[in-house]
Amino acid sequence: MRTDLRWHRVHPVTPFVRGWAAIGVVAVIGGQQVLENVSGALRLADEIGGLWWMVIVGVVLVLAVVFGYAALAWKMTAYAVDDDAAHLRKGILFRQQRHARLDRLQAVDVRQPLLARPFGLAELRLEVAGGADSAVAIGMLKESDAQRLRADLLARAAGVKAARRDTSPVEPAGTPAPSAPGDPATGTPAPEAPVGAPVEEAGAVDAPDDVAPEAPERPVYEVPAPRLLISLLRMPGVWLGVLVLAGVGVAVLMTRQTSILVSALPAILGIGGYLFNRFAGEFGFRAALSPDGIRLRHGLLETRAQTIPPGRVQAVSITQGPWWRGPDWWRVRVNVAGYGGGEGADAERQSVLLPVGPREEALTALWLVLPDLEAGDPDETLALLDEALSGDGRSDRWFVTSPRSARLLDPWSWRRNGYALTGRALFARTGRFVRRLDVVPHERTQSLGLAQGPWQRRRGLASVVLHTTPGPVAPAVHHLEAAEAARLLGEQSVRAREARAHTTPERWMEGPR
Amino acid sequence: MTSIPEGSDPSVAPPAGPFDPPGVTWQGVSPRLVQARLIPSALTFGVPVVAGAVLAVLVSPWFWLLVGVPAVLLVWTALLVPRQVRAIGYAERDDDLLIRKGILFRSLVVVPYGRMQYVDVEAGPLDRKLGIAKVQLHTASAGTDAVIPGLVPDEAERLRDRLTARGEARLAGL
Repeated sequence: MRTDLRWHRVHPVTPFVRGWAAIGVVAVIGGQQVLENVSGALRLADEIGGLWWMVIVGVVLVLAVVFGYAALAWKMTAYAVDDDAAHLRKGILFRQQRHARLDRLQAVDVRQPLLARPFGLAELRLEVAGGADSAVAIGMLKESDAQRLRADLLARAAGVKAARRDTSPVEPAGTPAPSAPGDPATGTPAPEAPVGAPVEEAGAVDAPDDVAPEAPERPVYEVPAPRLLISLLRMPGVWLGVLVLAGVGVAVLMTRQTSILVSALPAILGIGGYLFNRFAGEFGFRAALSPDGIRLRHGLLETRAQTIPPGRVQAVSITQGPWWRGPDWWRVRVNVAGYGGGEGADAERQSVLLPVGPREEALTALWLVLPDLEAGDPDETLALLDEALSGDGRSDRWFVTSPRSARLLDPWSWRRNGYALTGRALFARTGRFVRRLDVVPHERTQSLGLAQGPWQRRRGLASVVLHTTPGPVAPAVHHLEAAEAARLLGEQSVRAREARAHTTPERWMEGPR
Repeated sequence: MTSIPEGSDPSVAPPAGPFDPPGVTWQGVSPRLVQARLIPSALTFGVPVVAGAVLAVLVSPWFWLLVGVPAVLLVWTALLVPRQVRAIGYAERDDDLLIRKGILFRSLVVVPYGRMQYVDVEAGPLDRKLGIAKVQLHTASAGTDAVIPGLVPDEAERLRDRLTARGEARLAGL
């Protein structure tokens, strides 16, 4: 173990917060079991009725074990940060030490679970591109400490060299301002220190309040709660739920058997749970731009503040189902290398850039990722984007679409299938009913694929697939003319290579290499 | 291009439209891959054929039905696999590796060296007996299906070293 690292403990209340979460999980699972088998549980309760004190002793024992374990786990958990990496060690029996290289940092999330909110605690998650469960979760910390640590980590990851001396554990003090070069997109003048300015020697900064820990940010858009609610009510799931409910109501009235109600419960709970999850997860969604990257804040019960540094977004998708066509609302999601590895709802929640918003906001979200598309003057760019979102083969100026021979293979959306290129990114468009636009910056293309099935070959077609990191966006251009697909494949690999050569460095505040 | 090690088959499949980018010399894989693929399927289909035949002779001629289906599948596989193996090809370009495969469902994948995260070389017991190995390239994308099966071990090692060397030279972040 390295000795030059200063290890910090997490907040001592952590075991209680985590312990209660464990109890909650047990209670929920137990509750579900009981719900599923109500009569059996009642009989069981009758049988053990006389032994109630044993139940209480059992519960107390379980509580003691859980909290004891959590306390021990707390004692073994410590983290440290230096210029190159964040270190976390944990584990009682199976010790684990994790070092996350800061130049490979993909995103930093400050997560505040519901139980941690009364204590003012938060968990810091460093996402690195290592697949599922590769994130470094430091928590719980006091919220202000979590914010400060995040700013510190981002400053170090940005390459703003930090010479620092810790004055107290938990408080990472003495970080030079991470906001050095100002905001290139907004033209905010750079505050004090320019990049590469000599950093104060350790000792010069003692008080943690001397420094500006947070990079300044500029709010870009937010999603009002009524819009979120209406957008969810327009989802087909709601109509399905209403239909199921009506059907069940009729069935109950006809047969006078209320047990049908119970059998429909899981479906209703499922749909309701999904909608509530969407609502709670995307409630109060706010996006802001700062030199550290894109800042997202959202959540009703569990709040989450995400920071995605520049150049970490691998692909963007803008979608619109028929149910959002009326108000012209769109949903924007992104692939970020660290987020894709997570599980279901969480991964979905993390990769939302705009839960629902009108066209201009969707384009603003795209602008957050790609400030300059290099598609000509602003009017041209807007026309291109309009075509990308809602145009089709009959009116296209930029998009190359499937030829007429693709009609049999894709009767609905063959006019929409297509791609367009700008200096910075490839646009892949598809879907007639559920409109979808995938944008992949050239320098983020991982590998390219060309595929052709027997029916496609007979009609002289082929599909091009762009491989990107795991996430909700899977860009592909289907049913192009075979020669056109081959040309796109060849040219795109050249473009991707050239773009990679000029890409922003991993430490985004350092000049290009 | 590089010298082709002994044992690998430099046969070039006929041009196939979009799957034949100009100026690319394709390298085939070892014909021993045919055996490596046929032996397991011969076992899976062969056992029911033999069992069905024995039962048909001893018990009832109806069991010839049991023989028929796996026998047809066996013949189909025996005809298909050599063609499939011949269709597999790879080419090292200056900046990327091309892999193509498939007859009915064709695919071609372009993997830039700078995008490689790691390279796997694998050989099962049968592969080792036959003297072939499989090289798999991994990028940060789970969608990259870049596998070259049926390489002579020397060629597999050469390719692995070459790919890692080129990958380091052109390494980019994500």
